Amino acid sequence: MSVRTHRAASPWLFLLPGLAVVAAFVLYPFLSTVQHAFTDARTLTPGVWVGLRNFQEMLHDPQFWTALRNSLLYVVVVVPCTVLLPLLVALLVEKPLKGVVFFRAAFYTPVVASVVVVALIWVWMLDDRGLLNSMLEMVGAGPVSFLGDAGLVLLCAMALTVWKGLGYYMIIYLAALAQVPRELHEAAAVDGAGPVRRFVTVTVPAVRSTMVLVGALSSVAAFKVFSEVYLLAGPTGGPAGEDSTLVMLVQRSGTGLSGRVGYASALSLVIFCIALLLMLLVLRADRKEKTE
Amino acid sequence: MRTFRGTRVTGPARTAVPLLAGALLLGACGGGTDGGGSAADGKVSGHITFQTWNLRAQYKDYFEGLIDEFEKAHPGTKVKWIDQPAENYPEKLSADAGGGTLPDVVNVSPDLSYPLAKAGLLMNLDKEPVTAKAKGTYTPEAWKGNRLPGLDGAYAFPWYLNTGPLFYNKALFKKAGLDPEKPPTTYDELFADAGKMAKASGGKVATLAGVPAIEDFGRYGVKLMNADATRFTYNEPRGVQLLTEYKKLFESGGLDSQALNATPESAGRKFLQQRVAMNPGSAHDLANFKENAPDLYKNLGITDAPADTGKPNMYVMGLGINDRSEHKAAAIAFARFVTNQRNQEAFAHQVAVFPSTKGSLDKPYWTEDDGTDEGRVRVAAAKMLDGAVNYTPVVMTEEMKTVLQNEVAKALQGDKSPKQALDDAVAQSNRLLQQG
Repeated sequence: MSVRTHRAASPWLFLLPGLAVVAAFVLYPFLSTVQHAFTDARTLTPGVWVGLRNFQEMLHDPQFWTALRNSLLYVVVVVPCTVLLPLLVALLVEKPLKGVVFFRAAFYTPVVASVVVVALIWVWMLDDRGLLNSMLEMVGAGPVSFLGDAGLVLLCAMALTVWKGLGYYMIIYLAALAQVPRELHEAAAVDGAGPVRRFVTVTVPAVRSTMVLVGALSSVAAFKVFSEVYLLAGPTGGPAGEDSTLVMLVQRSGTGLSGRVGYASALSLVIFCIALLLMLLVLRADRKEKTE
Repeated sequence: MRTFRGTRVTGPARTAVPLLAGALLLGACGGGTDGGGSAADGKVSGHITFQTWNLRAQYKDYFEGLIDEFEKAHPGTKVKWIDQPAENYPEKLSADAGGGTLPDVVNVSPDLSYPLAKAGLLMNLDKEPVTAKAKGTYTPEAWKGNRLPGLDGAYAFPWYLNTGPLFYNKALFKKAGLDPEKPPTTYDELFADAGKMAKASGGKVATLAGVPAIEDFGRYGVKLMNADATRFTYNEPRGVQLLTEYKKLFESGGLDSQALNATPESAGRKFLQQRVAMNPGSAHDLANFKENAPDLYKNLGITDAPADTGKPNMYVMGLGINDRSEHKAAAIAFARFVTNQRNQEAFAHQVAVFPSTKGSLDKPYWTEDDGTDEGRVRVAAAKMLDGAVNYTPVVMTEEMKTVLQNEVAKALQGDKSPKQALDDAVAQSNRLLQQG
């Protein structure tokens, strides 16, 4: 091999292991899902091409519309909370005060805990005779059927998602806040700006890009939510399946010995397209704001 | 029909279906090789795998003893025992079947063997002369229980049977002014007692923690499917009547407020905490009650689940043979060994299940009450097995069960009339059945 060929080939040789992994575990599954979305494949039987039939079926499937509504609702409620609350928490724990490390660690703990463990703790708390209802009963309210009411189950799952992600996004914000020049705050303070005004006029513009990033990441994550709802609402997706999300529907229809793999793949493709659209919308809004 | 890119799509036969954009999509398709495996009447030798369903923890010694004995009796054979946890067992089977690693001998219930048999992965025991010979050693009902509609044959050797008693809390019955020695035996009595229980406890104690499942419709006398199992029929008037009664029960507080999305585990937990008065279970639960809820155990009542048909529900377990096994003869010999009369009876002495071999249930162990709780459950349940029916239609998938549970929930919440809810459940299930 000549030196020139060697030079040209060596970067590709270094890339080869990575490319092989990406091809095997990302590209191939993706293309395979696209292929299956147009077939009537089941778990144990190969499918045949059915064109758009899975997508047509989806349009007439009331469970799909319920799941789509819930997934979008999740984005609408969870994303603003996930963008704002961790920022506020990050502001609280960014100061180099004595003992602040404890609070940082405390806020980060749910991130490292398994979602199953966390959800089970929440189930015990929200149960008819759980901690929360005991407290409500002490003040003469309740019991409230947090886990038996479709609306409340979904709300509780949203709260759990926000709470569990708080520490993760807080870390991202802490990194962003460390980059904000101290002089800007000092100048604003000299001009008589209070903490709220400084937050709105200095902090928010300075971390805007991070907020967009958090918004994009959390909107995709919220759209794909599964574990929290599954564990709180049960395998049926809450009473009458009213709390199902799209990913739960994928799991329900595509798994098991008689799973409708073709239909579940079509649902996955729809999830992919909507998540991509959400991401593009957030990024486009950010770009537009920057150019204005 | 047109096929993908002009050819039959064989991808599912070998590939795992991916996760897309993080969406959880599990499921592998197709299974194993296309070869037909070895001869069923060949030499009994070779290494085989044997999969059980959540039995290792408590019965390790029993199975290891069986395997040792079999290997000694058949030199040249080696049995590798695999045990899978109870949860997600169907998913584990589908992954094995899709990956071509389905064990040679596999523990299945008829609803699990149906999709495997339909995909050509389980041996038709009626058609294979070596296995068909064994038919006479099992009770006709047990053999029939493993026959699958539309597939013309039995696809698993009958193993153990179970009925499942209904447990009730005598203390709660007494507190509600009900006779703790006379639990309800029909659905009408159940609904009446549940109403009294809710009233007496001010709505704090429900009688049941779960909505009616397909077995309840069966026990109530509802015709679940047509004769050739191609159409669900549980929306008939009797089915509507049952759901109407359950709706009244829910409104009166006789059904737990979280029943609509309850799982058997969550319902069992509420019974353990003495928050509901009745719960279905099995003899396995006795040890759990004894250890984790001694107060409950002291007041534990054991009765039969109400059955207006006079025929209780029966759960059937079997051992299927992988039709693509490389050592079919050894797999058949081992499955027959595990399910022979001596070994089935020995297992049933340890587990509180019931043997499916001819004549076993006539033995004193299953006919004479020894005065213990376990003995009482055993004798009562063994008696119930005579004429018991497996009410769960084998063609009913988990998705169809969820459809029923969700439509039942809509009726109980008042979003739909019971008739409409059952019509919708049947329509959705029939559509899924036709697609299959």
